[in-house]
Amino acid sequence: MRSAYLERPRWSCALEGALAAAGSMPGVVPVLHAGPGCAGNFAWTANGASGLQVTGQCLGLSVPATNLQENEVVFGGTDRLREELLETARIMEGDTLFVLTGCLPEVIGDDARSLADELSTPERPVLFASVPGFSGDSYAGYGEVLKSIAADGVRRLRTKRDLANVWGVPPGLDPFWRGNLEGIRGLLALLGIRANLLFGPASDPKALRRAGAAAANIVVSGLYGAEAAGIFRDLHGIPSVPAPLPYGAAASERFLKAAGRAFGLPPSRMRRAIQTAGRAHYAALEPAVDLLNDMESQRHAAVIGDANHAPALSAFISEELGWVPELTVIVNDLDARGREALEGYWEATGTPRPANLVYASDRRSILEAARGVWPEAPQEGYRDPKRPAIVLGSSLDRALASAIGAGHLSVSYPVANRLVLTRGYTGYRGGLALTEDLVSACIGGR
Amino acid sequence: MSYLDSKIPPVREHRHPETSLAHGSRWRGGHAAGACPIASRADRSFTQGSICPLLPALGIMLSLPDTVVLMHGSVGCGSCAAGNNVNVRGGLSSRGAPVDDVVWLSTALDEMNVINGGDARLREALVECDRVYRPKVILAVSGCLPGVIGDDIDAAAAAVRDEVKARILPVHCEGFKSRFMATAYDVVYHAVGRHLMPDPASVGPRDPRRVNVMNVGSMGLADERELARLAEALGLEANFFPVFADPDSFARAAEAALSISVCPTHDDYFLTHLEESYGVPHVIRHMPIGIANSGRWLRDLGDAVGRAAEAGKIAEKEEGLLRDALEPFLPAFRGRRAFVSAGEYRSLATASLLQELGFEVCGIRSFHFDSYAEVELEKLSRARECSGQGTAGRRAGGAGRGSAAQGGDGDGFVFNVANVQPFEEANLLRRLKPDVFLGHMHGNSTAARMGIPCQVIYNSGYGYLGYRGAYDLARRLHRKMANPGFYRRLGQFGKLPYRESWYGEDPFSRIRGGEEDGS
Ligand code: SF4
Repeated sequence: MRSAYLERPRWSCALEGALAAAGSMPGVVPVLHAGPGCAGNFAWTANGASGLQVTGQCLGLSVPATNLQENEVVFGGTDRLREELLETARIMEGDTLFVLTGCLPEVIGDDARSLADELSTPERPVLFASVPGFSGDSYAGYGEVLKSIAADGVRRLRTKRDLANVWGVPPGLDPFWRGNLEGIRGLLALLGIRANLLFGPASDPKALRRAGAAAANIVVSGLYGAEAAGIFRDLHGIPSVPAPLPYGAAASERFLKAAGRAFGLPPSRMRRAIQTAGRAHYAALEPAVDLLNDMESQRHAAVIGDANHAPALSAFISEELGWVPELTVIVNDLDARGREALEGYWEATGTPRPANLVYASDRRSILEAARGVWPEAPQEGYRDPKRPAIVLGSSLDRALASAIGAGHLSVSYPVANRLVLTRGYTGYRGGLALTEDLVSACIGGR
Repeated sequence: MSYLDSKIPPVREHRHPETSLAHGSRWRGGHAAGACPIASRADRSFTQGSICPLLPALGIMLSLPDTVVLMHGSVGCGSCAAGNNVNVRGGLSSRGAPVDDVVWLSTALDEMNVINGGDARLREALVECDRVYRPKVILAVSGCLPGVIGDDIDAAAAAVRDEVKARILPVHCEGFKSRFMATAYDVVYHAVGRHLMPDPASVGPRDPRRVNVMNVGSMGLADERELARLAEALGLEANFFPVFADPDSFARAAEAALSISVCPTHDDYFLTHLEESYGVPHVIRHMPIGIANSGRWLRDLGDAVGRAAEAGKIAEKEEGLLRDALEPFLPAFRGRRAFVSAGEYRSLATASLLQELGFEVCGIRSFHFDSYAEVELEKLSRARECSGQGTAGRRAGGAGRGSAAQGGDGDGFVFNVANVQPFEEANLLRRLKPDVFLGHMHGNSTAARMGIPCQVIYNSGYGYLGYRGAYDLARRLHRKMANPGFYRRLGQFGKLPYRESWYGEDPFSRIRGGEEDGS
C-alpha cells in the first residue's frame, strides 16, 4: 500500500519531467498549459537538484505558459491556450510547439489535445502530452514526451541502416544527461553507428524528423523510454534494443555487443572495437596504478540512486574499481511489475544484479538498511568493520554518510553541490571521469 | 471582523485591488505616481511561466526549525523545496546551527485521489508524520490540486487535531487563486497569526526594548546583523521573524514595544494584525536599502521610540562613514547605465541606491505594483530632478503601448511591471543597452546571455540592507564591473529563445487592459 506521504521525493512531477525533456529539444518550444507557478517551481527545483543546470534554450522562466487563474478554472482555459499558442509562434523561435498540460486543465477538462491537433500544420507541428502532476513522477513525464514523439511526432521514413535512436536518459533528472548521451554516441561511433539524439546540445532541429529513419531504438534503461520504444516498434516497425547504461569499460563492452548484434554486425567487429578501446582506456588509467594500489583506494560502498543509476554505479565500482558494493538502494517508487521489468532488463543486458538491493527513498529506511552493514554499536573484537566506506548517492544522502562515518559523492538526483555541464559517466572516457571523481572524493585531505 | 478570523486569507487581488502585474511605460522624472494608474485587470496575450504564491511561502516555511512542511498536492507541487533546501542549509550554517536538510513531505496525490478526494490521505499523513518526526509544527500546505478537487485542509487538520501532538497550520497556497506572489506573505502570516500567536489576554508585559523586525526570505545573517546593529545603537533589541524563527518564539512578537517593516508590501498584513490584536504599534514606510532610505528607516525607528534626535545623529555619522568608504568605487559607477529587476520594493529601493552611487537608472522592472510603491517612485523621480538626470514631463503614450522605449540619456527610465516575463525584458535590454543589470535570483540569465554584467540582488546570505548592505552591494558591483569578462564572452555566443522580429516590436505590445479600460 502507498504510504500516506513521500519524504523529500527525489523527483518532481510528470509535467516537470516532460518540460525538461521537451525543453531540451532543439527547435522545439514547450508550452505549459498549467498553473501560474509550475515553471517557477521547476526552476527552483533544478536549482537544488540538477547540478546547477536551471536555464536552457526554453527552460527556466522563459517557457511560454498559460498561468491559469481562477477565471480559467471556472470557465475553461482553452481560449487562453489558443491565444498563447498563436503568440508563441510569433515570438518564440522554433518550428515545433509542444503543449504540456498540468494538473489544472486536466481536472477542469480542457481539451488541449484537440486544440493542438487543430493548430498543427506541416510547417509548424503542435505536439501534445497530457502530463498532470497527479499522473506520475518526472520519469513518467519523460516517458510521455517520448510516447507523443513516437505516436505523433514521427513519420516512418526510409530506414537508414546505420542510424539509432537512443532512449532512457531523462534530461535534468539525470544531472549527467548531456555527457551520458555524448558518451553513448561515442560508443556507437566505434561501430560505425550514428546516434540520433533528440535532446541537448548534441542534438539538432532535424533529429526529431530523422527519428523515423532509425534502424533501431536503443534503450539504456529498464524503465524509462521502454514504453515509447514499444510504440515505435508497433507503429513504425523499428525494433527496440535493451542495452545497459554503459558506465565504464565493462558495461561499455556489453553495450557494444548488444548494439552491434542489433545492427547485424559480425562479432569480430565488436571484438576489434572492444580490444582497441580497452587498450586505450587502460593506457590512460595506467599512470595512476601505483598510487591507486598503494594508498589502499578500495572502498566499501553504499550506492543510492534511481533505477538507472544505482545498478550502473554499483556494477561499475565492483567490476571496474574492485570496490565492494555493500548496499544498493533504488529510490524509485516501483510496484511489483516495475521491479520485475527491471530484473528482466538486467537479465537481458547482462547487468549484474546489485548486491544487497533495497527499494527505499526516505532517510529512515535507508539508514536502517545501512545499519545492517555498518552497525551503530562500536565493534569489538575481530569483526570486519566494512571501512573505509563511501556513500555514492544524492546530496540528500550526506546525512547518511555522516551517520555511518563514510565519505560522500553526489552522483544521483538531486545533485545540489556539484556543477555538472559536460560531465558524463558513460563510455570508456566516462568511466575514467567517474574514477577520477570517486577517487578524488576519497582523498580530499591528501 | 479581522481577516484572521476567517479560515482562508484574502488574496492580494481583494485586499489591495490596485495591485497590478502588467504594466510598461516610460517614466520621466518629476512625475507623480498618482498620474499613472496601473490597473489590476491589465493582462497579457502572451505569457511565460511565473512564480505562484506557493514558492515564496515555502521559502519562509521551510526555514522554520522543528517544523515539517507537508505539501498537499501532486508530487511536483513544491518540489522547489530542493532549491529552498540549499538556502536553508546556508542559513543554518551561517547561524552556527547544525546543518541538515529541511523536512518536506508530499501527499503526492494520484488519479484515484483526484476522483475520490484527498482529504483522507491528508489526515492519515498528518497523523503519521507527527508520529515519525515529532515536530513542534506541521504546516499543511495546499497547492492547486486540492483547490480544484474540493479538499478542505482546514477540516482535515481539525479532524485529527486530538491525535496529533504538533500544532497543525493549514496554509492556503493554491497557485491559481492569485497572480501575485506577494499573496504568499499573507497566507503564511495568516497561518502564523491564527495558530502560533498567544491569546491576547495571556500576553506578558511589553518589553520596552524589543522591536519586531520581520525578515524576508532573502535576508541572510549579514542583513539581520546590520539591522540589529542599528536597533542596538538606539538601545533596542531586534526580534527577527519569521524566517529561521523557532515556532515557539512567535509569541514574543506580541510583547514587543514596536514593529518596524523592512518591506512594506511584505509586512503589512501581519503588522496590522499585531497592532489590532495586541496593541503593538508599527511603522511601515521604508525599505532600508540605499543611503537615504536607511536613514529614513532609522529615523522612523528613533521617532517611534522617542529618540528622534539620537537616531538623526547616528544616521548622520553612519552616512558619513559610508560615503567615505564608497568614495573609491564611485568613479567606476558615475554615469553608467543600470537596469534593475526584482520584487516591487526591492527594485525601487535598489534603484534609489544606484542613483546615490552615481548610476543612471535606465529601467526598472518589478514583480508587481501596489500603492505602497508609489512613494518609492516619487522618491526616485525627485532624486533624478535634484541630480539633473531626466527631464520633468509627462509620460509618453497610453499604457506604454505604441511608445517603444528607446535608450538615451536624460530620457527618464522605463518602468515595467511583470511577474518575471523575460521576453519583455530581453526586448527592453536590447533597446536600452545598460552597462549593468541587477536582478532577482533566477532573474539574471536573460541579461547575462546578452552580455550584460549582472549582480544578483535577492539571494539569501549576501548583504543588501542598511549602511553596511549598501557598502557590500557597491563593493560586489564594483568587482563585477571591474571584470565583466564572463558576461562579455557569454554575450558573444549566448542565445535567447526569441525570434529576431520580436525585438522590432514594442516591448509592451502584449500588455492589454491597463489604464484605458481598467481603473
Ligand atoms: S500546481 Fe499550482 S501551486 Fe503547484 S506550483 Fe503549479 S501553480 Fe503553484
